[in-house]
Amino acid sequence: MKHNMLLKIALLLLGSVMFLGACKKEYGNLNSPTVEDFLKDATQSQLNNLVSGTESGMRNEITLYLDDVATIGREGYRFSGSEPRYVTDLLGANEAQLTNNAFYTTNPWAARYRVIKNCDVLEASANRSTQITAEQKKGYSGFAKTIRAYQLLLALNLTYQNGIRVDVSDPNNLGPIVSYDNGLAAIISLLDAGKTDLTGATVSFPLSSGFSGFNDAAGLIKFNRALAARVALYQKNYTASLSNLNESFFDLNGDLNTGVTHEYSTGSGDQLNGMFIPQNQNGEIRPAHPSFATDIVPGDDRISKATLRTSTASLQGLSSNRDVWVYTSSTASLPMIRNEELILIYAESKIQQNALPDAIVALNVIRGKHNMTPYAGGVTQSALLNELLYQRRYSLFYEGHRWIDLRRYDRTNELPKDRTDDDIWIQFPLPNTEG
Amino acid sequence: MKKLLPYLAALLFSWLWVPSLLAQQKTISGKVTDNKGNPIPNATVTVEKTNRGTMTDAAGQFSLEVPENSNLVISYTGFRNQVIPAAKLASGSQVTLVEDVAKLDEVVVTGLATSLKRRNLANAVVSISSNELNGVAPAQTFDAALNGKIPGAYINANTGAPGGGLSVKLRGVTSVYGNTQPLYVVDGVFVDNTATSAGINTVTGAASTGATSTQDNPSSRIADIRAEDIENVEILKGASAAAIYGSKAAGGVIIITTKRGKQGRTRVNISQDLGVISARKLLGVRKFDADKAASLSSDPATSEALRQQFIAAEAAGKIYDYEKEVYGNKGFARNTTLSLNGGSEKTGFFFSASQKAEDGIVKRTGYRNTSLRLNLDHKLTDNIKIGIATNYINSSADRSLTGNDNAGVTLGIALSSTPGFAELHPDENGKYPNNTFAASNPLQTVALMRNNESVNRFLTGLTLDATLQKSDRSTTRFIGRGGFDFYQLETNALFPAELQFQTVNKGTSMQGNTQNLNTNFILSLVNQFRAGEQLNLTTSAGITQEKGDYNNLLNVATQVITDQSNVSQAGALSATQFRTKFQNSGFFIQEEALIRDGITVTGGVRFDQSSNNGDASKYYAYPKAGLSVNLTRLNVIKQGVVEDFKLRAAYGQANNTPAYGSKFTSMVVSNIQGYPGSLVNIQRGNPDIKPEKQTELETGFDIAFLGGKLGLSATYYNKKIYDFLMLAGLPASSGFSTQWTNAGDLQNQGVEIGINAKPVSNRKVNWNTSVNFWLNRSKVTKLTVPSTPLGSFGYVLGTYQIEEGKSATQLVGLNGQGVGVLGDAEPDFQMNSYNEVTFFNKLSLRFLLHWKKGGENVNLTSMQNDFGGTSADYDDVTNDKGLPDGVYRIMQVGSTAEVFVKDASYFRVREIALYYNFGTIPSIKFVKGLRVGASLNNYITITNYKAYDPEVSNFGTGFSSGIDVLPYPASKRATFHISIDF
Repeated sequence: MKHNMLLKIALLLLGSVMFLGACKKEYGNLNSPTVEDFLKDATQSQLNNLVSGTESGMRNEITLYLDDVATIGREGYRFSGSEPRYVTDLLGANEAQLTNNAFYTTNPWAARYRVIKNCDVLEASANRSTQITAEQKKGYSGFAKTIRAYQLLLALNLTYQNGIRVDVSDPNNLGPIVSYDNGLAAIISLLDAGKTDLTGATVSFPLSSGFSGFNDAAGLIKFNRALAARVALYQKNYTASLSNLNESFFDLNGDLNTGVTHEYSTGSGDQLNGMFIPQNQNGEIRPAHPSFATDIVPGDDRISKATLRTSTASLQGLSSNRDVWVYTSSTASLPMIRNEELILIYAESKIQQNALPDAIVALNVIRGKHNMTPYAGGVTQSALLNELLYQRRYSLFYEGHRWIDLRRYDRTNELPKDRTDDDIWIQFPLPNTEG
Repeated sequence: MKKLLPYLAALLFSWLWVPSLLAQQKTISGKVTDNKGNPIPNATVTVEKTNRGTMTDAAGQFSLEVPENSNLVISYTGFRNQVIPAAKLASGSQVTLVEDVAKLDEVVVTGLATSLKRRNLANAVVSISSNELNGVAPAQTFDAALNGKIPGAYINANTGAPGGGLSVKLRGVTSVYGNTQPLYVVDGVFVDNTATSAGINTVTGAASTGATSTQDNPSSRIADIRAEDIENVEILKGASAAAIYGSKAAGGVIIITTKRGKQGRTRVNISQDLGVISARKLLGVRKFDADKAASLSSDPATSEALRQQFIAAEAAGKIYDYEKEVYGNKGFARNTTLSLNGGSEKTGFFFSASQKAEDGIVKRTGYRNTSLRLNLDHKLTDNIKIGIATNYINSSADRSLTGNDNAGVTLGIALSSTPGFAELHPDENGKYPNNTFAASNPLQTVALMRNNESVNRFLTGLTLDATLQKSDRSTTRFIGRGGFDFYQLETNALFPAELQFQTVNKGTSMQGNTQNLNTNFILSLVNQFRAGEQLNLTTSAGITQEKGDYNNLLNVATQVITDQSNVSQAGALSATQFRTKFQNSGFFIQEEALIRDGITVTGGVRFDQSSNNGDASKYYAYPKAGLSVNLTRLNVIKQGVVEDFKLRAAYGQANNTPAYGSKFTSMVVSNIQGYPGSLVNIQRGNPDIKPEKQTELETGFDIAFLGGKLGLSATYYNKKIYDFLMLAGLPASSGFSTQWTNAGDLQNQGVEIGINAKPVSNRKVNWNTSVNFWLNRSKVTKLTVPSTPLGSFGYVLGTYQIEEGKSATQLVGLNGQGVGVLGDAEPDFQMNSYNEVTFFNKLSLRFLLHWKKGGENVNLTSMQNDFGGTSADYDDVTNDKGLPDGVYRIMQVGSTAEVFVKDASYFRVREIALYYNFGTIPSIKFVKGLRVGASLNNYITITNYKAYDPEVSNFGTGFSSGIDVLPYPASKRATFHISIDF
């Protein structure tokens, strides 16, 4: 009898747990929302989260992007005790090449397209949301398009003639890689579409203080047009660059630093400005290229962008006695585009249109602001171009321009090689995952 | 009701219960001893082909009522079974058991609730006794103690940091970036082996974003288990043996059984170890002179300053060997164990309390483990047995800051660019100077930082074994096993503001808190049925469930107020939380048939569903089958020189569930100026993700010669993994960088050959030896995603790359002409040999040798030292360009990775020890035994590999082992042992 009882108990137990055990269990995502949560019917606060995520994500790998451009453009070096490839691959030491799967190629590319994907999610979520007005939708989509265009431009700046992918909305069915020229054209039309959306839109989302003065529809249009002016300049379409400047925040007599910036803070989940390295550090430093000080005109106050070190830094046959000192704290702003660049775009467009006096006026604004005497050199297109490139080099030092500027004029061969076997690259390969 | 019982039995097990006939009875008594005359307590004495039996008492005595014409079977772990006709056994006679060198009679776990003797086994199951595990030269942690002892395994210590951290791969890689580690089961409890990061990436920046990364090198949680408590470890290496463990078994199963109480007088044992730990190898430093010092800078003025700095330092006698100062310390190790073991007829208990404390070779690092265990077994009635195994563990490891980084803060990176003429020592006020050659001063880092993991862990396993019905022909048992594994892990990393590298963050304090609860149960019915003289059937069926709930909360505070570690005493605070949960449920049925005591046929199937699968409700089936034919038992081969000859084959399937969260495209938090932001994760969700399926076919033979004094075993396996899980690289222009994918198929084939022998056995000398040889070859047979480099630092430095038709563990990189294959992490083969030589039954010499032939590492340790200009052989000239080797090797960066992908073969005397057994001491009555010994662990290594140790893995326990980036150097230990029995 005892045995039977036990058997009964055992069978009961087995039966009941079998029933319980067979229940389907789904835990969902315990750590974060999923894309689907946003696409269903996003609330305004969810959409605002996407805007902030987009703005925040734009800062990812921007340090590496600037180091890539500045190192190849011989603005400075990135000395690292732990990462040799900054001074081997990027400078083309010995036989070294830029490779398609190294961090300097893949990380900036991936970070830009990640933001683009976020812009896609933002636009799609806003379009499907029933909780916002049509004007609000236009605000979100205009912002998304403008940022997407800016991110594409940064990707294209590195890969240049190797091109970029523009149509990336369906991850299973990516569009083709398009050439440099087609890439620029696509970016311009995206900016134009963004401007159209922003026109008459309601901006009901918060942006960081980096957008202060530009955080409404009119302000975002100005930002959009400033970017369009830069792209038109790259396209050598000087009429367009000048007309875009007119709709931007370009101000010949305004503050050079007016513009849109990345902002940093010590808040939870926020970032610090990785371009900041305190002065006179060792091991992990960002020294200026020695030519920065040797090429500068005496008296130019922009010498303060690279301060003298207490001791010279050396690594692998490279030496420098100046630290890059553009970003002077861990929460310093990092410009996306600012008035000083717009004035220089104006000057360059005028030179190209042979409106040389207009160009000289603009160049003298820059010179005046930097403790230089008015321009007294030759009044020819080529002399003024040299002057312009000098001003761009020092005004936009470590903002991601010199290499691109010299490349636009096919003058990268003017860059100095520090070691006999170094190379000057003109573009990065496409990441090897792009196939 | 009584009538229903056979009906139910028939329903469940498809055969009838046949009552047996009663035979004439007589009572027999006797004494069981070993060949030296020592009594064997707890030996099992049963009437052959029945369920009737008893156990010997502490004096080896037994008494049993037996049928007239029956045979008695006397068995005990580690000895050959003796079969004696009852008629021959006069009351009071002595039965001598002989040692089971070939391990034919060893009982091996084959199901979730069943076991078989090794002589009938269809699989090659490795078992490691407590003596082999812990009785030679004990390692610091349990996982390290396994190293070199499992044929068919590739075990690799990721780091030498105190507290362990090993990766175990059984029969090749089973998954690419999926879980490749085996499942650990301790007394029926599925234990957690997660490695939890302390957030070290915050300071090292080894990976570009986030507080944690795969390069933080935390320890594996299996390291908490005390090797001293373990009776036996069994390793089911592949699906053919492990299928019944279902969806967690793809990496194999390591079944750990702890010691249980034995009937008889309570035995008390106190053991004490005292040891010294030192670095296995130091690389040495570059010998500078004035010219070499000057050559560190290309700037003439700086170069001259360096020359003067060297001359001044040399004149002052201040040329240092910083590598030795940081890594060259001797650590003191102690380990105390108290154990009590005893029991009555009804109740047995094993209790142990132990503590070990060890210093590391880096100052202010070390490991401490305190453990309490109580194992109880109680017979409620003759038919109901309950067992409980409880274990509390408190462990703490101070692991320092080593390995890869992008901020110049780890000890290795800082040392790599610091020449001996630099001054890093503190001034008279204790203030450390800034290191002018690196981003951090390693002496200051060692003195001020903390990176601690501490764990409180409870493990409880319960067993209920109830005999539901029993006759001479049939026994039905309900076996319920289950338990929980709960731990709370605190990680605590502190980097005070005065550290050279804390100029931006001004003090960083990271406190992590992890809670993990794993629970599981197996409820099963087992029926043993003697269908006839020639047929024994064992049927088992049951249900299983495993659940896990992991919750990690990490707070990273920066701008910390001076001397504070409390995360609220800070100007900035970031929190990260990571949770995982899973539930696997299943049921199984298994049948084992023993025919004519010579043929064993096994078949079984398990059905499992898992919340981690894309379709959480879908049941996946994992079948297994095995056949072993014992030719000697069947009299196909006459017993003679060949004592036992068995052919075997087994087949099974197992799955590996996808990683938690594989299904989801997450939106991670990314804030700006206090605005909460959502940003798409770099990992794209795959809603269609399936488990990877593994099938394994294993075949081989086992032969025992010369009365079991020589055993030979050979196994071939072919393990195929279908739809293997891979964190595949996506075109990043899609917005995503990675996605869990069922990326293709791969195959592992291998051979394992083992010899057990007793070459010398006489009154003076006994020598037991085992020699094992094993190798594995993998091949990617199908790849459905583009082939991309993964798991290292790209082609420039050498990387893994999954490619169709190639070995899964190939290493590729630049080779001067383009990208080519430079090596393979898979060893050509491995061999080990375990030996125990006993002289006069008193003195025993034990040693474990391990040879790994072939298998490449990516040696970036040497590269970093060259890059920093401090490698010991920097100025040698052995290259054809006539340049210093250090210069030459750095010149290769960007053109070839051949200088980094290096052969990591080694021959190692893993453990060697000499023990003397005094036996009883006549003058001290209460001492029943005394043993003393001395041992060396990992003392001798012969290798051409030029870094700290060929065993290394910057990326921890994942797929890509063997990436060598300035790890915490491996250590060796010399220990003195004393053990007293009361």
